[in-house]
Amino acid sequence: MSSPKNDNTVNTEAIREVLDTHRAKMKTALRVCAHCSLCAESCFLFHVHDGDPRYMPSHKFINSIGRLYKKKGRIDQEALEEISEIVWRRCVLCTRCYCPLGIDIPEMIALARNICRSQDVYFTWDQLEQEA
Amino acid sequence: MVKAKKKPFEEIKQAIEGYTRVLNIGCGGCVSVCLAGGQKEVNLLNLQLNAAFSGENKATRVDSFTVERQCNEMFLIDLDKVVPRYDGLMSMACGAGVQLIAERYPDKPIFPAVNTIAVGVDRQIGIYEERCRACGECVLGYTGGICPITRCAKGLFNGPCGGTNKGICEIGNEIPCAWQDIYERLKEQNRVDDILKIKTAMQWQNQTRRMIVQDEYAGRYEDKK
Repeated sequence: MSSPKNDNTVNTEAIREVLDTHRAKMKTALRVCAHCSLCAESCFLFHVHDGDPRYMPSHKFINSIGRLYKKKGRIDQEALEEISEIVWRRCVLCTRCYCPLGIDIPEMIALARNICRSQDVYFTWDQLEQEA
Repeated sequence: MVKAKKKPFEEIKQAIEGYTRVLNIGCGGCVSVCLAGGQKEVNLLNLQLNAAFSGENKATRVDSFTVERQCNEMFLIDLDKVVPRYDGLMSMACGAGVQLIAERYPDKPIFPAVNTIAVGVDRQIGIYEERCRACGECVLGYTGGICPITRCAKGLFNGPCGGTNKGICEIGNEIPCAWQDIYERLKEQNRVDDILKIKTAMQWQNQTRRMIVQDEYAGRYEDKK
């Protein structure tokens, strides 16, 4: 995952501020998730990757925004890049995932992307050429 | 996907120089894929603009904010808190994104920083080719998968016309005749009879704004009326 900035400093206070504005929704989503795995059935990437559990929508949001929430935004560059790997490489934000308990998973993924973007960590399509 | 190209720098600069605080809004969707208006392009353009304004002792300053998709309101919510701080907006999304932002913040002037070009395919990194003009009457099934609207200079549904000459279009030596290519493709597939079928004239549905409602969902919205 690309990190266009030159230094590896993460503004944890800025992340905390974003998290605070969405705290209630994140808390509810993380608390409500019953790990029923029904969301997996609605994710085409999960199916395309032969049922790899890392592609389950619940796994993706718990290991991205859930991780940020639990750490209260105190996260380093490496962790932020791991999160960005999940929210960009394992999710295309098609918004089709379905949660029987009403968790808005795309909103959680988009929030994690927002936080990554705020720290200049994001996916760029020209990096595919560098990786090839 | 939608393909776009950044406007000339001077045009962008002139559009916003009357404003003090401008927010340049990037889009993580199609324009990010075609390297025209994603976060990287937003950051780069802002650097250039701020340097230019600073060099000319002008007060205009440009900040950035990139959303996942400007064509979907669910991704614009976080902008609500940011936009009031600015007196002008700039968008690096396609025309659809620019218009949705304009609709959401009607009191803010908005300026597009890219020209939306086409629905196209990715050839190489940074090279894209127009393939579809969203005419709303797809005939690719009868033309061997070659679009006569995009490829033929006259957009003919029945071709070739008299302007074809040894596979080249009359408008220029470099332009291959779309209908010659269609003929060759159909011949390869033993379907050359398809070219003889007269197709009714194009209705040019894309001249007025269209609303797309998928059949499976039509009932849901009709019930609400």
